[in-house]
This record gives sequence, structure tokens and C-alpha cells, in this order.
Amino acid sequence: MTQTTTRRDFLRHLGISAAAFPFICNLPSLGFESSQARKQRLIILFSPNGVVRKNFWPNEAGELNEFKEILKPLEPFRDRTLVLNGVCDKIRGDGDNHMRGMGCLLTGIELFPGNIQGGSDTPAGWASGISIDQEIKNFLQSQPETQTRFGSLEFGVVVPERADTWTRMVYSGPNRPIAPIDNPYQMFRKLYGGVKDQESLKSVLDIVSADLKKVESMVSAEDQKLLLEHASFVRQMEQEITAAQKNPMTHAIPQLDPGVVVANDNLPQLARMQIDLMVNSLVSDFARVATLQFTHSVGQARMKWLEIDETHHTLSHEPNSNEDAQTKLTKINQWYCEQLAYLVQKLADTPEPGGQGSLLDNTTVVWTNELGEGNSHTLNNIPFVLIGNGLNFKMGQSLKLGSVPHNRLLMSFAHAMGHHIPHFGNASFCELGPLNLG
Amino acid sequence: MSIYFQDIRAYSFFWKPEKGSQRIRCRRLTSASLILSSLWLLCGPLSAADPGSPPTLDGAAIFQAKCAQCHGAAGEGTKDYPISLTGDKSIHELAKVIDETMPEGEPELVSREESEALAAYIHDAFYSPIAQARIKPATVEFSRLTVRQFENSVSDLLLSFRGRQSNSTEQGLKAEYYNLRSFNKNKRVIERIDPIVDFSFGAEKPEGFPTEPDMEKRRSDDIHDNLEFSIRWQGQIFIPETGDYEFIVESENGVRLFVNDPRKPLCDAWVSSGSDTIHRNQIHLLGGRRYQIRLEFFRYKQKTASIKLKWKRPQHVEELIPTRFLFTDRTPEQFVLTTPFPPDDRSVGYERATSVSKGWQDAVVQASLETADYVVDRLNSLAGIGDKNSPEERTQKIRQFCKKFVERAYRKTLSPDEIKMFVETPLADVPSETGVKRVVLLTLMSPEFLYREHGRNQFDDAAMASWLAFTLWDSLPDDQLLEAARKNELRTREQVTRQVDRMLQDPRTRDKLNQFFTQWLRLDRMPEIVKSQELFPDFNARIVSDLRDSLELFLNELLESPEADFRRLFLDDSLYVNGRLSQFYGGELAADAPFEKISFKEKARSGVLTHPLLLAGFAYDQESSPIHRGVFIARSLLGRRLKPPPEAVAPLAPDLHADLTTRARVLLQTSADACRTCHYMINDLGFSLEHFDATGRYRELDKDHPVDAHGVYLNRAGVEVSFAGSEEISEFLVAAPEVHEAFVEQLFQFTIRQPIRAFGPDELTLLAEHFRSHQFNIHGLLKEITVDSAMKMKSIEEESLRTAGNSAEKTEK
Repeated sequence: MTQTTTRRDFLRHLGISAAAFPFICNLPSLGFESSQARKQRLIILFSPNGVVRKNFWPNEAGELNEFKEILKPLEPFRDRTLVLNGVCDKIRGDGDNHMRGMGCLLTGIELFPGNIQGGSDTPAGWASGISIDQEIKNFLQSQPETQTRFGSLEFGVVVPERADTWTRMVYSGPNRPIAPIDNPYQMFRKLYGGVKDQESLKSVLDIVSADLKKVESMVSAEDQKLLLEHASFVRQMEQEITAAQKNPMTHAIPQLDPGVVVANDNLPQLARMQIDLMVNSLVSDFARVATLQFTHSVGQARMKWLEIDETHHTLSHEPNSNEDAQTKLTKINQWYCEQLAYLVQKLADTPEPGGQGSLLDNTTVVWTNELGEGNSHTLNNIPFVLIGNGLNFKMGQSLKLGSVPHNRLLMSFAHAMGHHIPHFGNASFCELGPLNLG
Repeated sequence: MSIYFQDIRAYSFFWKPEKGSQRIRCRRLTSASLILSSLWLLCGPLSAADPGSPPTLDGAAIFQAKCAQCHGAAGEGTKDYPISLTGDKSIHELAKVIDETMPEGEPELVSREESEALAAYIHDAFYSPIAQARIKPATVEFSRLTVRQFENSVSDLLLSFRGRQSNSTEQGLKAEYYNLRSFNKNKRVIERIDPIVDFSFGAEKPEGFPTEPDMEKRRSDDIHDNLEFSIRWQGQIFIPETGDYEFIVESENGVRLFVNDPRKPLCDAWVSSGSDTIHRNQIHLLGGRRYQIRLEFFRYKQKTASIKLKWKRPQHVEELIPTRFLFTDRTPEQFVLTTPFPPDDRSVGYERATSVSKGWQDAVVQASLETADYVVDRLNSLAGIGDKNSPEERTQKIRQFCKKFVERAYRKTLSPDEIKMFVETPLADVPSETGVKRVVLLTLMSPEFLYREHGRNQFDDAAMASWLAFTLWDSLPDDQLLEAARKNELRTREQVTRQVDRMLQDPRTRDKLNQFFTQWLRLDRMPEIVKSQELFPDFNARIVSDLRDSLELFLNELLESPEADFRRLFLDDSLYVNGRLSQFYGGELAADAPFEKISFKEKARSGVLTHPLLLAGFAYDQESSPIHRGVFIARSLLGRRLKPPPEAVAPLAPDLHADLTTRARVLLQTSADACRTCHYMINDLGFSLEHFDATGRYRELDKDHPVDAHGVYLNRAGVEVSFAGSEEISEFLVAAPEVHEAFVEQLFQFTIRQPIRAFGPDELTLLAEHFRSHQFNIHGLLKEITVDSAMKMKSIEEESLRTAGNSAEKTEK
């Protein structure tokens, strides 16, 4: 399949006037690439309330030989997985551990003092700095070779409508949280809005033309001119849409199942829809950075499909001695890992457009959490599981790093993407530079 | 700027194009006019005639000899060249074209002088738009919805599915105060009405709160602050004119403001973070309507607490939202389009929608898509679908909603064929959301929605309902009108009058009247009013904002009174002033006093003519401008059609003539003969207001000379009227028949958007007579305009149907 090289050529090829552009500018780009360097992508997946440590962390450092229960779904990808133990969120300041767990996770910087009270500590506001995904996105967008239509996309799955420190982890700057889109139809509209509109328009234009003719027959000759002119514009639009639709796409526009309401019970289906949209958007090169947020900090998912009737956060407060809670929490975390595996599998199965190998060869997915453990609310040993070869790290490993500030890991992400920042977030935690994971 | 051949109205005649009598009543071709005509042609590179040269060639004769063969005797065209010779080139441009290219293939057959004469002749005889308006009798023009009508219609269409808007009169917002930072019903301590949201609580709780910490925890592990509390204000905000409104909440605490959309806050500062304490956002809203507003506030572990709710209206400065715009009742959510449209043609003095363009068509499609997305998103509430409805019930309700949607949009009962075409076909074989989207798209893109009913040779009851609604509201007929149409109760004058009486009470009618006054008083064309800071250090944007409020309060009072006496616009000697305005214009109010009506009789105030907003608007930054004021009086009040000046002349710089008064300087500036023909009239009208300086303040002296405010005007009856000062000219104007007619004509054409002469050559005189004999009641005039035009439309359509039927027999299609 031929690929046009510039957007203008693309439009010329379609024979579409500038006036029709509003309708087709939402069509997927056809991979306008001019550089030969491989693409690099970063995806960050978030789930809340910590993990059951004994069922999560590999026992030994070194080669990854085996996965414990929670990470079992990643078995097919063991050689491309990197488990990092000892990465700690050392940011203190205002807000309780959940708020700081969420708000400082990707920003590595303190929250502003504010008026939102958590379960303990002082009230807090928003994070006082940019998050690493946006930092990297800005870098990529600043260079023509790595520019994409959106730069980054923020997905969510059943995120509450309210905007506060528990529901936001992505920041474009201090006090500038970015809301994830948790409605797949809304996300679809953002990515492909114009296309669906075109189909609907096409279906009604015939009737409009017929109606215009009917009215024409009722008015004077003089007035007919007005209607004829109007009819000519309608016809023109019809032609433009037909031309746009004739153009072969290099990849299909995803079909969404209609009528799925954003609600707890539909979490599994929504997760699939969002992941499908995300992979599709990577294929279309709409963005090279993406985040997927499952619920929110203190998220209360009720996983009835796993026969768990209690809510996640409530369960996570149970002491470790409560075996039943531990089992359920393990199941919940494993279920999140299954979603991760679904995403990774799709990436592995999708060829890299215009390149070698699969999407997974050029993408690194990071699964992380706000807390190390739900009941103690510890911010030490934040779970970080990396899969994929997007960042040139040495994979197939389990590392025990002692107790390093997570700022250094965030810096590693940036450096691996070619963005050599000297520090990130609270600079006092960055003195030893990025972690060496290559 | 084009240069028109100007008819000499040196004395007497007030020229209007009359239907039937195509010519001007008296055109005097004096030698002066010929000199002038050659003077004007001086302005272009072509002509080199010097003043005083002998009379030129006979353009009409040359035309008949050399041009009529192809162009027709009156430029109407012939079989060889069937295009009429009309357009908007200037005489100068025409002369050039003729000289260089005509006759076709043999341009040398016409000399340069002949070209000039030809251009002058054809321009006036039939070429120019003015000549055309003279020749072709005025007709009711087939038209589409104007942009404003489109926006209003879509908004009202969706509102019709949500229940009525309440128009209760209780002002202020309902306030609920809670003794906890959540809005916990058990902790509601105060319920009252707050007229304005402007509170500084300091480090305390609001007055009236229990003094003991009455802290019952919400949950077992909840943390509290003894000083925490929350407040919710809700109600309606009245929007006085269509435009973009900026809402501002100032608070160091957590606040959330919802305007119109109850789900997504317009300003979301619930999380106080950093030092941002001013939160603002903009929203587009339609005039004459009330929108729901809800403000939520809480204070938690913060040193101080305060809140201010402000807005910035179009062309006003930021201010606390005044009580008069706030009401305590609830109102449903409304839909307001944000798609921008290309503006409608206003070249004839009213917004006219008799042309289409690609830009307009694209905007229609975008707006339809925007509306369709909204409808699909809110489908359940619009169609009345509940959780308990079965899928069959849901489908049924959707179909019902679609049918009603189309009926209301097309403002008529649908035939079975139409139901099939517009409802069932788009809904068939697709998921319901897609189907609904298609119905909305189809409906809003259809000519049945986009075009007005008149001109289709069938002015039936539905068309009558539409006519009334678009005239008074610029929007769709409501259910009561549609019902009356269905029951054949819109046939007689009495029936129509009854509906109009009801419709006059609707706030949308008031909104349309307000729009009219904005145009009539030229407020929409005034540039930003800025004055010299050296001369007028206390005149600033806030004063201008206050002046707009002052005028608005006056007009509101006038229109709210049942008498709505037009004469008050000229004779009222009072002004609404607040403390700030009082400091500047007089009135002895305290510096922070609210608006009050004060008499300014000693200061020669007399109606709108002397309202400082107009006086300051029609002025330069240092000096008054009698020319601008005179043009306003001539055009808006006296209804004169002034052509642009023949030469573009820059005003004489005041400092170059430092010892001249404004009057003297203007006389000097307009002393050339070419200027005198209009300016002798314009100047005197403006001079009558010379007692008011550039800021509209009264003065006795101008540059140490006593102000000379006398002037004369030759009225339509041929009598030279003289006046000295604003009160005398106002008295003259209020009694002058031409002023009554000018007002009637402008109001008619503004509301109906059609030339008044299309409704009969006597329509204007009849309406003006009615106006005079009914105590100049503006509401009465509007009613008469609406009812009379509606009844006349019926007969006009019946008449044209008959003639069309006759001519159809004669011509072939």
C-alpha cells in the first residue's frame, strides 16, 4: 500500500477542497514519517490500592525465572519483562499517602497545600509540577521526526466525574491536571469523530436534495435561484464525502459496540474497548505516549465477575492476617494484570506499521500503582513492572534496587526516549541521576 | 469607497423610492450640480475636467445610440446579451470599463468624455443598487432563517422538550449554608435568599451559625476543622443580550460554578491549590432567557474565607453580578450552539437572509452535527426515557421524540409521507443513537427548517404561526401557536391579535425590542469609547460601563410601563445615575450609591438625545463631534438617507485651530461646496447638542466662548424650523411626522426583515397614524406591525398565487 508523504499530498490525492477539511481532518494519518529511526513508545498503566506483596514480588534478583500468582498472566512475555523492586515514592509534604501516591507518582514533586482533606495528614491541592508522560510528550512533539497528531492520549476506565487529587495523575504543569477520557465513545469521537459524521451526513443528503427540489417547485422563478444555489452546495458536499470515503485507509477504523454505559459492572468490557482504541491509535501514530488509569486512587471497583462483592479499597485496608481478603486482593490484582497482558498481547500481535517487528518491539508498557501496600499505605517499593522493548532496557530481569527515589526511574524513562533531563520533579532526589537499566 | 452621483437635495425634497413612481420627486439639474458632477469625477485618475467647464454630453442619448442595441433601452438586456446592466461599481469605475472595453470589440467608438457621460447616466438611471431599488417594486423576499433565528430556534426547539421556563420575579439566589464542608442535609443551618454573592468571612464562620462546635462526624474516621462550612447558591441568571459572557469567581477557598450545564462546571476550583484565587471562564448565551446557575463553596483548614461572584458582560467591565439579573427559581438546562456562522447581510439597514454561501452551508452542517451530538447525549431526558422502560417502550419513545422534533422544527403537522421521509427512514435499520443523529441532521439541514414560509404561495395557518413567532421572537412558534394553527384559530384579525397580546409578554419579545433600540441608537456601531486622560482624567471604562447600564435601565423602565410612550425618548429629563456617574455628571449621590433616577432638567437633558452614552459615543477623544451627532439625528431619527461624503476628508485637527470653537471648526471643515449640500443640514442638527462636551457633560463655554447651540432644519413640509439647544430640538423632533414615520419604518423593517413598501404603498402612513392616535405606545405599534403585516401577508400571497396562475398560462416553463 502506498503511503503519501505529507498531509497536503494526502488532501490533494483525495481531491478535497479546504472547505471539506473540517470533515476529514479527523481521518487517521497515514504514517507521515520521514526519518528512518525507529519509533519509541511509552504506555503507563495504573491500578490503585497497592498489591499483596508476597504474591507479587519475585523472590530473587537476577534473571526472571518465574512469576508469582499476580504476575502469572505475563508468563508469555517473561523474557521481555522487567520487575523493579525498591523504587520508592519519597515525596513528602501535604496530603495523605493516597493523595501523594497518586499525585506524586508521575510528577515526582510535592503537592501544593490546599483544602482537600485525605484520611490523615494536612489538606492538599494539586501537584506542583508536570508529569513525566507530558514531559516526554512535549519533547517528542518539539521534534518533527517524532511529532504525532496528539502527542499523548489519556485513557481511563470508570473514573469518577469529580476532579480532585485522587482522580488525576497526569499533569501538564503545576496545578494543571489532565482528565482521562473514560468514555470510549468520547475517545472515539476525539480520534475519529469526523468519519462517523460523514456516514450519517451521506445518508441524509439525498433526502435533503429531494426536499430542496420539492420546495423549489413551490416558489417563484426568482426565488428558485436561491434554492438552486443551496442545492449545489449540498451536492458539492456529497461529492466531497464520497471522495473521502473512497480513499483506502491503511488500517481499519475500529468498530465500537454500541450502548455500553460507563459503570462498574462494565469495567471488563470498557477495559477492552479502551485498550483496543489505544492500540489502534498507536497504529495510526496518533500518539507515542499514553496512559491508562483504572478507576482512581482509593478506587472502589467491585469485581463481581470474579465473585468478589467487596470493594477494592475497603478490602485493601484489611490486615495481612485476613486470608480471605488477601486472596481476593490477589485475584483483583491478577485481574488487572490480565488487562495488562491483553494489551501486551495485542501489541505483540500487531506489526509495526512501516517498520520491522511488532508494536511491542518499540513500546514499553509500565504497570504501576500508587502504594506499595494497601493497608500500611506505604510508599516504599511501589510496584513497577515494565514489558516491551521500547526503551532499550535489559529485559527478562528482576532487580532489587534497595531504596531509590522514583524520580530517578522517571528520569530513566525520559533519557531512554532521548530526552536527557538533568533532573525531574523534586531535584534533590535526582542527584544520582537516572537508574541504569540498559 | 465608491463615489455616487448624488442627487441634489439642495432644498426641500425628502426622497424615497416609491413603488410605482420610479423617479425621484424633484431633481434639479442646476449648473451647480453639473459643476459638482465634474468635481466628483476629479477624484479619479481618468477625469481632468476643471470646475466651471461647459455642460457635458448627453449620456442618455449616447446610450440609446451606441449601447441600447445590446444592453436594451433600459439596460435590461436583449436576446444577444440577456444579462441586465446592474452592479455596484462607482461611476468612475464604470467610466473606465466603458472607455476601455465598450462597445464590445470596438472600444474606440466611444470617447473618454462620452464614457464619463454614459457612466453618470446609467449609474443613476438603472445601474446602481439604489436605482434598481427605485425601479423594481419592493416585494416580500423569499428568505432563509437569519443566523440569530437559527440559533434561537435550535435552542428553543430543545427547550420545548424540557418544560417551561419559569418567569418568577423573586430576585437573588437561594442560599443554603451548611455547618460541615459537605452539603449534608442534617447540617443545613441557614436557608435564605442572598441578593448578591459578595462575602468576606475572615477567620470566622458566617453570622447565624451555632457557636459551639457542633461537629458530628460523617464517618467514623473523618477529620474536621471547627471552622469548616459550605454554602450552595442556586437559581436563575437572566441574560440581557446574546453574546459571550465571562463568569468570575474570586475566592481563596474551594468553589465550583455551574452555568446552564448542571453536570460540567464552568469554573472548577474545588481544589484550592497554589495562589490562584481568581477563576474565570467564558460561555456563549442567548439574550432574553434565564439560565440555571449554581455556585458551591466550602472552606476547610484555610486561614480566611471569602467569595465574590462576578461577570463581564459584552462591552461592560467586570462587576459583581447585580441582583436585578438573579432570580431564585429553577430552570431547565438549555442548548446553545457554539458553531460560528458567517454574518448576515446588513447592507439595507436590517439583517437580511436572502442569500446563501458555501460558508453558510458548512456552518449549517457543523451546527447540525453539534446539535445531533447533544441530542444523542441527552436523549433519555429529552425523550422521557426512564430506567424502568422496556426496550420496546424505549423505541416507541424515541420515535415519538423524533416525530415531535421534526414537527416543531418544521412548525407544521406532518403528512404520512413526510413522517416516512423524515422520521421513519432515518431511524430504520440502524441503532437508535445513530438513527436519532440522522433525524436531527436531516431536520436541521432541510429547507423545511431553513427557509421561511412566505414565498411558497401557501400562507396557511402554520405559516401564520411562523410569521408571528419569527417577527416577535426570531424563533419557532411555541406549542400554543401551533395548537391555534391546528385548530384553525389564526384566521381572523381578532384571533391573531389575541395571540400577539400573549406573545408580547414573553421576554424574548423584549429582547428583540432591545436589539432594535441598540441598532436604532447606533450603539452597535459605536467604537470603544475612550477619552483623553489629560482633559478627562475621571472618565474611564467603568464610567462607560455605568453609562450603558444607565441607558439600559431607562429603556427597561420605558418598555416595562404599559404606556411605553415613545415621546419619553425625547422628553424625559431624568437620568439613571449611580454614585460614580453622579460624581462625574452631577446628582449629589454618595460615591458608592446604587442606580437611582435623578432629574437633570437644569442641565438641559432631554431624552436619549442627551444621554451621555450617545453624546460621548458620537464624539472624539477630546472634542465633541457635531457631525457624528448630526448624522445620527438625520439618519436614525429623521430617516434621511445620507450618502457617503463625495470626498474623504480628514477632520481638521483641533490643535491646528486652537482658538476656534468646535462649531466654528466644523463649519470651516465643511465649507466647500461639495460638502455643503449635506452638511448645511447635518451640522445644524449636531450643533444643537454643543452644550455637551466629548464626555456628554454639560458646558456653558467651549474654549472660553459661550456655546452657540442654535440651528435650523428644513422639514418635509418645506418649513424652516429653528431650535437652540437640546430641549428645543427634542421638542421639534418628537412632534415631527417624519420622525414618527422614520421610527415606524425602522421598527417595521427590523422586526419583519422585509421592505415596508412591499406591504402596500400606504402601509407606512397607516401605521404611523395608528401610532400617533394611540399615544405613541411602542408596544401598541409593535402589535400593529405584527398583526397588520401578518394579515397583509395572507392577501399578498393569495394575490401572487393568482398572478402566477395567470402568467403560467401565458409563459411556458
